[in-house]
Amino acid sequence: MKKELTFTLNGEAITAEVDPKWTLLYLLREVLDLTGTKEGCGYGECGACTVIIDGRAVNSCLFPVMEAEGRSITTIEGIGLKDGSMHPLQTAFIDEGAVQCGFCTPGMIMSAKALLDANDKPTEEEIKDAIEGNLCRCTGYVKILDAIKSAAGGR
Amino acid sequence: MTGYEYYKPKTIEEAIKLMGSLEGARYIAGGTDVMVLLRQKKIAPRCMISLRNIADLTRIDIKDGLRVGSAVTHSAIEENEHIKKRYSALNDATTHLGSRQIRNVATIGGNICNAAPSADTACPLLVLDARAIIAGPKGAREVDLDDFFLGPGSTALEKDEIVKEFVMPPFDENTGSAYIKHTRRQAMDLPILGVAARITISVKDESEVRCRDMFCTIDSISNILSRLKEEGLKCEDARIAMGVVAPRPIRAKKAEAALKGKIVSPELFEEIGNIAAGEAQPRDSIRGEAWYRSEMIRVLTKRALIKAIDRVIRPDEAIYPERLW
Amino acid sequence: MNNLTTVGKKIPKRDAPPKATGSAIYIQDLKVPGMLYGKILYSKYPHARIKGLDTSRAEKLPGVRAVVTASDMPANFRIGVMKDNPPLKAGKVLSIRDEIAAVAAISAEIAEEAVSLIDVEYEELPGIFDPLEAMKEGAPLVHEEAKSNVLKMPWKLVCGDVEAAKKESAYIVEDTFSTPWVTHCCLGTSGCVAQFDTNNNLTMYSNTQIPSLAQNDYIDALSALGLKNRRVRVVQCVIGGGFGSKLDTYAYEYIAILLAMRTRKPVKIIFSREEEFFATSPRQCTITKISQGCDKEGRLTFREMEMILDNGAYTSWGATTPSVMMLPISSLYKVPNIKYIAKCVYTNNTYSQAMRGYGNPQATFAIESSLDQLAEKAGIDPYELRLKNANEPGEITPQRFKITSCGMKECIDEVVKRLDWKGKKGKGGNRGVGMASLIHVGGGARVYKSDGCGTIIKMDDFGKVDVFTGASEIGQGSDTIIAQIVAEVLGISIDDVNVINNDTDICPWDVGVHASRTTFVAGNAALGAAKKIKEQVLEVAAKLLEEDPASLDIKNGVVFSVKNSEKTTPLGKALRKVHYTLGGKMLMAEYFYDPANENFDKEFKGNLSVSYAYGAHGVEVEVDKETGQVKILNYIAAHDVGKAINPLLLEGQIYGGGLQGIGYALGEKMIYEKGYLKNGNFLDYKMPTVKDVPYVQPVIVESDEKDGPFGAKGIGEPGLVPTAPAIANAVYDAVGVRIKDLPITPEKVLKALKEKEKGA
Repeated sequence: MKKELTFTLNGEAITAEVDPKWTLLYLLREVLDLTGTKEGCGYGECGACTVIIDGRAVNSCLFPVMEAEGRSITTIEGIGLKDGSMHPLQTAFIDEGAVQCGFCTPGMIMSAKALLDANDKPTEEEIKDAIEGNLCRCTGYVKILDAIKSAAGGR
Repeated sequence: MTGYEYYKPKTIEEAIKLMGSLEGARYIAGGTDVMVLLRQKKIAPRCMISLRNIADLTRIDIKDGLRVGSAVTHSAIEENEHIKKRYSALNDATTHLGSRQIRNVATIGGNICNAAPSADTACPLLVLDARAIIAGPKGAREVDLDDFFLGPGSTALEKDEIVKEFVMPPFDENTGSAYIKHTRRQAMDLPILGVAARITISVKDESEVRCRDMFCTIDSISNILSRLKEEGLKCEDARIAMGVVAPRPIRAKKAEAALKGKIVSPELFEEIGNIAAGEAQPRDSIRGEAWYRSEMIRVLTKRALIKAIDRVIRPDEAIYPERLW
Repeated sequence: MNNLTTVGKKIPKRDAPPKATGSAIYIQDLKVPGMLYGKILYSKYPHARIKGLDTSRAEKLPGVRAVVTASDMPANFRIGVMKDNPPLKAGKVLSIRDEIAAVAAISAEIAEEAVSLIDVEYEELPGIFDPLEAMKEGAPLVHEEAKSNVLKMPWKLVCGDVEAAKKESAYIVEDTFSTPWVTHCCLGTSGCVAQFDTNNNLTMYSNTQIPSLAQNDYIDALSALGLKNRRVRVVQCVIGGGFGSKLDTYAYEYIAILLAMRTRKPVKIIFSREEEFFATSPRQCTITKISQGCDKEGRLTFREMEMILDNGAYTSWGATTPSVMMLPISSLYKVPNIKYIAKCVYTNNTYSQAMRGYGNPQATFAIESSLDQLAEKAGIDPYELRLKNANEPGEITPQRFKITSCGMKECIDEVVKRLDWKGKKGKGGNRGVGMASLIHVGGGARVYKSDGCGTIIKMDDFGKVDVFTGASEIGQGSDTIIAQIVAEVLGISIDDVNVINNDTDICPWDVGVHASRTTFVAGNAALGAAKKIKEQVLEVAAKLLEEDPASLDIKNGVVFSVKNSEKTTPLGKALRKVHYTLGGKMLMAEYFYDPANENFDKEFKGNLSVSYAYGAHGVEVEVDKETGQVKILNYIAAHDVGKAINPLLLEGQIYGGGLQGIGYALGEKMIYEKGYLKNGNFLDYKMPTVKDVPYVQPVIVESDEKDGPFGAKGIGEPGLVPTAPAIANAVYDAVGVRIKDLPITPEKVLKALKEKEKGA
């Protein structure tokens, strides 16, 4: 039943053997050990599993792995800068106090990155639109908004 | 979980052919519903036929009306300026469905073909006189969207058929539309109920509406309606559709008829709301109580209509006083 | 205190970088070689007799390594506060979360399939789902061996003479309030990995909030399983949210232990989101009858409360929340006469546990809603009534709480000022303002015989420090706070402080993350240990510099003489000297801090905490009278925190707590119908999204608590305590209807408005 799949993962071409019934999240976490992408619910209702596919934020828990073929996929592990330093969003999340338990953080950062890649001067409303599908129980979201604003402003 | 094979046809014909030849096959588009059903073990398909890679299903065409391919994502609709302006109700629905991540993959065809009473795009398509263009093994056919929904999860689609696109007529500048989704949360929610309205208006002597500025205040709806009445604002044509208040999304046809040809007024809108509520059969569920849903039809029908009127009167204004809507 | 270098600063969380880069390992991410996956079969019915149980089909499934049922557990082994909960149930099931069997298999998928192959034959029994019904004479018994459904846990507090006070009161109000089950919604679900070594010692990878107490629970379990005198090591992964949910051990942990014992392999159990909703324990729901009175001048005369708590089928910490409810009941404002009775009643519903606030939100909802009713009856502005009766430093409350630092009045004043209370109160237009105050423990809480926390500090040859603490980091930032305190005392950079907190083999004892105690208790423990090691360092340096230790200090990692600034030595050099010497030694210090607070006596009186946290929230709302929807326009959250050790993290607690409170007030509720959970998912359980966040202004009031580390008090829980009544009071001010049953849904508001219209 296994199928061979080729796609771009965090900027590098990759070929993986997959079972067609897998979700992209399963491939990332269980097979490729990219555990930065979290599963919070498995139903697309919390956003902890958010990755960027061809420039758009997507719930990887609902994404059939077979659709990854030929696409470009970015996970939290792949957004650091070439010199090894963190992405400005990661730095901003840390500095602004936007991280508490941290379980929502990778998904939240990926949603924010998809926004900033397309719109480097977002309004507060646009930021809220971008992360409305990312639940956070710790922070009350305020410092997350601060972090995204700060990362956008610093560009 | 027993697995499935995954097929990615490139054409509609190929997809239909696969569906006809494979045992236990199921179409999948954005997958935001299908993948959930799979995980809940409510379905166990042997094959999945993906509609995501068929170019003919992912187009938006704005010549002579509007054609939206069934595999167009909610985000793509949301980002289309023409739809926002001329088919505003559809924009309202696609901007408030699920979350950003869901809208980036979920398709309008999936939303409609699931035939959930709560489908957000259903009410807008109903008021925008949409027809579904269907492709199938026996050829193509067209179904008025009002005839498409048969009940919860049940549609007019026959064996192996696919909705190719939704077609809507052109609307002139005197027509506006709106969809109001009534929810408990401001995001990531299903509607307690939803109401869409489309209205075509005319003004006595074709003069300008003088009270347009009232729309950017927080004045009450009935005051605004009284002013519109003074100015003789007439409803030439109207459509009203409601979701989650019947086994399928429905049109409030009696309310539409009662509105057509009348000068708007607070009393008339009150009456229209009551008629619309009478056309619904809401039920109690954990998502909302029947009495409340009935009550909200009255309120939201008024609000959807006035929001649609506002879009005619102030086509370029983006400011809506929050209190009103 | 004015020249602090690290304490009081906005320092980013130490654990944030691994979390923001995805490298932090949560229990979900943990893989142990050879690990099997466990899965639990739960009851299909809330109340039924198990007539037959056949696991043979599951056992035959390839990849299955063990199937266990109640017969594999020691017959009398029970868990929970009242030891009334067998981890695997036999005979009868009493709720839909009852565990009947479990499987270990080589993959999660096979385990799940195996569970579906276990055949259970049930005889469904009528259940009892309403605590009031369950209390009636002749009601069917949830636990057949008990004589009554009312738990043998008689909560009763009496101070002064309520009946006499009633007679002397000028105004009295009486009403009934109720609150629903709400759940923690930790983004990371529950889970553990149980692993035995060849000598049958257990390592438990877990996300518990109580490593030391859990260790004790597991040791008991091993004894029951015939493994006496074994070691248990609890290792915490990075924890994906706590909020009280991990304050008890659950059946799944014992099931994992049993499966690991059976298979001789590590076994991992991770909850799905569905399980997290129905099989973990929510905040206790309550029905509260309250009566309060005041004299003509508005001085409170008495407060009387009676409470019924649905205990569910088993007993965990939820049943003990009345102990903390007593705090606001007896001591929120000055009230001389108090009477409180609470009864916990067994039903076939889910059972409750600790959740942020530990009963305080439920009690404060009733007290502060009722207080507004009293203010109206007495014709006094609710703000003035609160100010007049506000707690003050030096007060000893009827329950014998000794109020030390107290910024309650300042908090109330901040709310009034920032909300423009006087300009907005009672102004109509569907807008209104409301406020509510809070008292909570702020200096630990002596629930157990000890309220302590141990800390060990060791310094290396380069002046860097390892701090081993019993405190658990659950996202709140305890590591950072502890590192700040140690860095401050030792005069070194926070980057040179490493906090180790997650392994009972290494870390000293601690009672757990609860009662907003970590900054206070673990902070004081760290402070004590740091001071001790500093003394040792200065002694060594004194010899080196030929100075009196008392005249030495450390700054920027350099020991210097305050008298002669020429005399310095780098910290590392002094430290190396300690053991690069004949007869040398290692520099280490340990400190155990146990606050001087008291257990309650038999009458539930005593100074539970060495200091108390205060706060006041004010809110402006607008109510849509046609839809019943409530919109928050402005929210002020003023908190007396003693001293802000780290304002960045402190604000995070206030924002985060505040939004949980807003969810509790306006939308969250676990809908149970006849014992079944109807909304166990993120779509139907209305936890707030970012779009639901109002404008919140945190206000930090510093009252400088003398016993607190650098003056600090606890702030973990207070953020959500007064939220619901503040909003309910604002809704009343806006449209004249009072919602007494949380959450304040549009339906309830609209219905009340319609009834009011009819009545008028």
